[in-house]
Amino acid sequence: MIRCLDEATLQCYFDGELSPRLMESAAAHLASCATCAAAARELAEETALLTSALEAEFEVAVPTAALRERIDAAVLGERVASAGRVEKTSLFASFANVFSFNSQRTLGYASLMVVLAFATIFGIVKLRQPDLQPAITDSQASVPATPPKSISTPDISNRVEVADAAPPSVAPIRVKYSPSRSVTPKVVSVKANQVELLPGERSYLQAIARLDTTIKANKNAMRPSLQVEYEKNLAFVDRAIAATRTAAKSNPNDPDAADFMFAAYQSKVDLLNTIADARLTGGRSH
Amino acid sequence: MKLLVVSAVAGLLFSLAGSTPAKTLKSDPAAGQKIERSMPVSPQLTVTLCVASGRLTVRAWEKNELRVRSTNAGYVELRRIDKGKDPSAPAWRIDVMVGQTVSQINSKLDCQALADVDMDVPATATVQVQTRDGDISIAGVASAYAGSQNGNIAIERASKVVEAGSVGGSISLRDSSGRVNLNSAGGIVEVTNVKPSAIDDTFEVGTVSGDIQLDRVSNPKVNAKTVNGNVTMTGPLARSGHYAFTNMTGDVILALPHDASFQLMAKVSEKRDIVSDFILKYLEVPAPPAAPAVKPGTPAPEPIAEPKPGVAVGGPKKGEVTAGPKKTEAKGQPPQKGQAPQKTGPIMMPGPMERTVIVPHVLRRVSAVCGSGDAMISVASFGGTVRLKKM
Repeated sequence: MIRCLDEATLQCYFDGELSPRLMESAAAHLASCATCAAAARELAEETALLTSALEAEFEVAVPTAALRERIDAAVLGERVASAGRVEKTSLFASFANVFSFNSQRTLGYASLMVVLAFATIFGIVKLRQPDLQPAITDSQASVPATPPKSISTPDISNRVEVADAAPPSVAPIRVKYSPSRSVTPKVVSVKANQVELLPGERSYLQAIARLDTTIKANKNAMRPSLQVEYEKNLAFVDRAIAATRTAAKSNPNDPDAADFMFAAYQSKVDLLNTIADARLTGGRSH
Repeated sequence: MKLLVVSAVAGLLFSLAGSTPAKTLKSDPAAGQKIERSMPVSPQLTVTLCVASGRLTVRAWEKNELRVRSTNAGYVELRRIDKGKDPSAPAWRIDVMVGQTVSQINSKLDCQALADVDMDVPATATVQVQTRDGDISIAGVASAYAGSQNGNIAIERASKVVEAGSVGGSISLRDSSGRVNLNSAGGIVEVTNVKPSAIDDTFEVGTVSGDIQLDRVSNPKVNAKTVNGNVTMTGPLARSGHYAFTNMTGDVILALPHDASFQLMAKVSEKRDIVSDFILKYLEVPAPPAAPAVKPGTPAPEPIAEPKPGVAVGGPKKGEVTAGPKKTEAKGQPPQKGQAPQKTGPIMMPGPMERTVIVPHVLRRVSAVCGSGDAMISVASFGGTVRLKKM
């Protein structure tokens, strides 16, 4: 039987600090061991929670701006070079095939010519409407001034379909022409996913993280009966925290809502304290 | 092949023969023999007892003597820890050391014994007992401190202090007085007939997922909180007493005498009720919190409803207002004309909007008084109903 991963190894795994060989063996073990997979999930959740809790601290840029620029330039250069290599080989291969004609290929060329002709005509028509593009890219506020926008939306989406087959350099236009309705939810969801801590919440999270570390620092395995009680009650508390937190966020000016949330957090602190005490074996307290 | 079978059987017999006596020796060298230790002690004795697994029973008696008995412990020692005092004087601090062997007691592996232990102590003694897997029973002592992970704890006739904690077991306290602090994560807590021994004796009880049942608790300050459980209190209120009940999920039920006099401060979800058999005089209209920002086109959340009249048994008196909107509906009375039906559940956005808008959890506050308002009851229930019943 393969030995389970200890907490330090798991943490290193998530931090990417293991050697490639160990990384591979840890990943293989996680795939086959339910206990370690559960522990990994828990650790990942905690890491995510802490990351969100300490977001402000993490936002401070550690590398200098110059270093960042150099790294970005190096990465960009590498990408361009690799893209060029790929493009050269593929262009050479396709160029050789261009001159091999057969009946299917002839039909294909004819179709392509028709599509190109339509695209050219469409482009010319579009270019003769100079105000349309800014009207779309500005914002929804200009909708009343440009009623044709809604009518032209299907055309634009058709154009997007065509643009899918175009070279990568055309791709950014797709974003520009995309109906704003499909972009807005993405922006909203990104904002919604950001965890904003409520006033006073941070100290509870820090206390919880400390207690959690204390509980896990105990190398003795938690007894099954204790583990069951712990997880059952932790689930209750976490649900209460989630519910009260939602209420507190949706009622930011209601101190009672915040009180409920803090009471739920305090319950979690109390529970973790109880479990941490229970994990201490041997010795009596005088 | 035969040789293989013979050697396997021989190996098995050999291993069994080796392991059986060792187990007996390790776990219970004096199987069937009762071990008893006793010692004269001070009436103000403080005694501790700690095992890994086993039932612990503590009883008070009238003698100034400590007696410890066990039928399945290998070794029991009464260790004085009040050294430096006169050795001829009765002991007032003792650790009861229980183990399977002497070496286990003398090593650092304290609290590892697997043994049931009975203990008799002076009635004025302070007892501190803990076990991991086992029930605890304490009766008649002055102060009781008890802890168990999975076992149940039952304490009765304690006179000064009771502190008990359990992770998965229930806690029961009866016929006691003094300061009380009870905590259980997953078990229920039942308390019957508890009163203060000093004027400032508090009563605190908390659980995570267990119910709390209080019957005739007359401490001047009572604090009960749970995350996911019902809180029930029955009995008269202490005059000028302060009662605080908090839960997230579950009901808060207070069964009080018909002449109870109290002031009520309640915070509940707008979707939940405050149901009262008592005639409550409404004190003030709490200021509603500012409405959250609402997007254009979305329906605004309903304002915080004021308490509505007509729930008390016998109907409200003139000039008095009672709280609890749903009891009238429960009695089958139709809503009045012009009264909008209550909206429940999430409200869907009409038309082109695709996202579901969830109405925020709005809290309702009620401040009311019953009688002359002697006691103060504070109830905060995030997701439950508050019921005030007449006994």
